[in-house]
Amino acid sequence: MVAAVAEILTGVALFILAVTALGLFRVLRAEFAVERMMAVQLLGTGGAAAILLLGAASGTGAMSDVALLLVLFAAFSCSAFALGQASPNVDGSERPEDGA
Amino acid sequence: MSLLLDLALVAWLLALALYVTSARGDRDAIVAFIAFGLLLGLGWTRIAALDVALTEAAIGGGVTGMLLLRAEAHLRKRKPGGPSKGVVGKAVTAVACVMVTVGLMLVVLAFPSPAPTLAPAAAAALPATGLGNPVTAVLLAYRALDTLLEKVVLILALIGVWSLAPDGLWGGAPRLRPALVPEPLAYLAQMLPPFGVLIAVYMCWVGADAPGGTFQAGTVLAAMWLLVMLAGLSPEPETRGKALRLTLIAGPALFVAIGFLGFAMAGGFLSYPESIAKPLIVGIEAALTLSIAATLGLLVAGPAQMASGR
Repeated sequence: MVAAVAEILTGVALFILAVTALGLFRVLRAEFAVERMMAVQLLGTGGAAAILLLGAASGTGAMSDVALLLVLFAAFSCSAFALGQASPNVDGSERPEDGA
Repeated sequence: MSLLLDLALVAWLLALALYVTSARGDRDAIVAFIAFGLLLGLGWTRIAALDVALTEAAIGGGVTGMLLLRAEAHLRKRKPGGPSKGVVGKAVTAVACVMVTVGLMLVVLAFPSPAPTLAPAAAAALPATGLGNPVTAVLLAYRALDTLLEKVVLILALIGVWSLAPDGLWGGAPRLRPALVPEPLAYLAQMLPPFGVLIAVYMCWVGADAPGGTFQAGTVLAAMWLLVMLAGLSPEPETRGKALRLTLIAGPALFVAIGFLGFAMAGGFLSYPESIAKPLIVGIEAALTLSIAATLGLLVAGPAQMASGR
């Protein structure tokens, strides 16, 4: 019974990872740079879900700590992108600033 | 089902790695590399290396990505258009990387089976340290000297980064904040750090008995500090500040001090008396967490770019 539940949870994790991977490669080929950055956010969410399921399947409580860090750093990395994003406007002056 | 999941994970990791190397722009490659770090964290959990998974998610999926994005923004500013490496340069890099990979594969395949292991010995000596996590016992008790030197290397790396500052700016503050802080970034920098600090304290404390520990906790703290500086909510510190420099060396200094006390208390450098081994280790970990956070944060922030206001 327990083994069967673990199998199902692993299967669901596999499904989530598959969907995340498909979405990931679609988002990575997006037209705008900001959209591509969403790939990281997507993997943070999908990866955390898969890890939580796998942790429940194997009965390892510490797996939820990994999921926690994954979500935290996905959010952090997205913010880091703002830094690369803002600099051409500021220093390269390729585009005029819109004065916002 | 587990085997299928593992095979799929390997395939995705390889596909993502190929994407990183073939991405059009540098920034696309970095974004994919961050995603690769997060996915690799998941990969480490599959071989039950949770401590490594935590570090990979924190370093590979977080701080390294920011370091690379920052370097890329800096380079783009210097040379608009960005001349990339020639075909020969790329080919040489590719061949060298393939050779390293093939070499590692051969080494892994050549392992004797069963592999020689010190794991039973490490687990058997665990009660003497008072710890529950064998990884922490290896890092802070059995191989404490390696860990100590590693922390010193981190500080040497920071000195290397600082020495890139021009003479006139020496001792000044690095510059992290973009001239225009986007609204969502400021919001995130207000919302995320309280949770991040809590998670860091938890990581540091839980490391004694479960996966986690000082390096992961320090990285989380560093990330939160960087986020606050990035959004301009807190000014970048001047690198000549006394308090800052004391924070940087406090952890390694305490580690060395307790190491020398080992001569008096337990008969050897870095050996702990059994009765107070755990409090000593947790104390070292707490001090190291702060030092690592400051070191990693300043490593990413880079050399001084603003003159010190003395």
